[in-house]
Amino acid sequence: MNDRLSTLHETILQVFPQVEGVLALKSGPAGIAAPYLFSPQRPEELDRLALWPKEPVPDTLKIIQRAHAEAKLAVVCRGCEERGLVEMFKHNQVQWDNIMLIGLECTQEEAEFCRCWKPYTSHATTTVGDKIEGVPDPLTDKIAAMSIEERREFWKKEFEHCIKCYGCRNICPQCFCNICTLEDKKWVETGHLPMTNPSMYHMIRAMHMTAKCVGCRECEETCPADIPMGVEFRLIARDVIQMFAYETGARLDQKPPQLLVLEEGEYERTGLPH
Amino acid sequence: MFEPSIIGFLCNWCSYRGADSAGMARMKYPPNVKIIRVPCSGRISPELVLRTFREGADGVMVLGCHIGDCHYSTGNHRTAKRMPIVKKLLEYTGIDPDRLMVNWVSAAEGEKFTNVIKNFTEKIRAMPPFVETMK
Repeated sequence: MNDRLSTLHETILQVFPQVEGVLALKSGPAGIAAPYLFSPQRPEELDRLALWPKEPVPDTLKIIQRAHAEAKLAVVCRGCEERGLVEMFKHNQVQWDNIMLIGLECTQEEAEFCRCWKPYTSHATTTVGDKIEGVPDPLTDKIAAMSIEERREFWKKEFEHCIKCYGCRNICPQCFCNICTLEDKKWVETGHLPMTNPSMYHMIRAMHMTAKCVGCRECEETCPADIPMGVEFRLIARDVIQMFAYETGARLDQKPPQLLVLEEGEYERTGLPH
Repeated sequence: MFEPSIIGFLCNWCSYRGADSAGMARMKYPPNVKIIRVPCSGRISPELVLRTFREGADGVMVLGCHIGDCHYSTGNHRTAKRMPIVKKLLEYTGIDPDRLMVNWVSAAEGEKFTNVIKNFTEKIRAMPPFVETMK
């Protein structure tokens, strides 16, 4: 861990002459870390560089670029954050040309904590740390193996705890619409808990995460009720790979499948009748 | 006997005309389906399907033009890309995905329309009422 931190420190120092700022995590009081824009004018601030707990850096980049679209920035990102940036670029949320990626490879413990299938970067030019392979996701596999009735019981119990704080939506780097369906009373009722069964809130959110969720697990992390909602997104992501050959955040030149017409052979894989 | 309540979203240009031609030919089909006419099957958002279930429908039917025959040329491509995912989502949240049916009926296929409705109604009738499964 400390080894990675010092390597990252050195890498940022090397990158400083080429950029106007480096976006990375800075440690704060009480063991928290938050995204911070390190400036080449103040290299001494790098003493407070942090790696963990992870926070969504793509969101901060979006806010900075709204005000300074032309700024040349370097971004320290993990595999999931890089995938998030790729998806946000496709939806015109971030500029890709002005940023330089410094990849931060996750350790085995971090990958297991996030149940991550791809804890490494693939677009970054410079990387810090040793690349490790994806780890299995026992919870998703367990739910995938359940029968429909078991799943119904499982989610009913989980969603009963939901207090509808909208924390999962707010933290999600991929949730950037100005007008949110989840705030529309037509679709999601307000004013009483527990929420209706089936839960409109979580189902609509899962639907909107199709071909968008990059599996950063920020929603599960932030949830005060510990609902493992990322499982649903992951299961759907597996289907999107199988049906439309689209892996979220993998390639810059591939458009999201929902925006395109059917390709040759796609219809057969959807399982719809002829 | 349990009489299921089914909501059918029919596209204006093919399936609704198909229902018309079934009516014109005096074909018989179960009265459980309440038909809602929409401009295109691509209009059916996942939210609409989910809310229809939440309001207590036992089954939801989405009928559109055959792929390639859409009045808006690629409107039903959206349906074909979206609805399989909605079905998967229902499955993963614990709702029988067979409660949602997607099919293609053209304006001339009055007979296919009655068959589709007959088969779907029978399938839903064999299942327990949706509201009870959610209790």
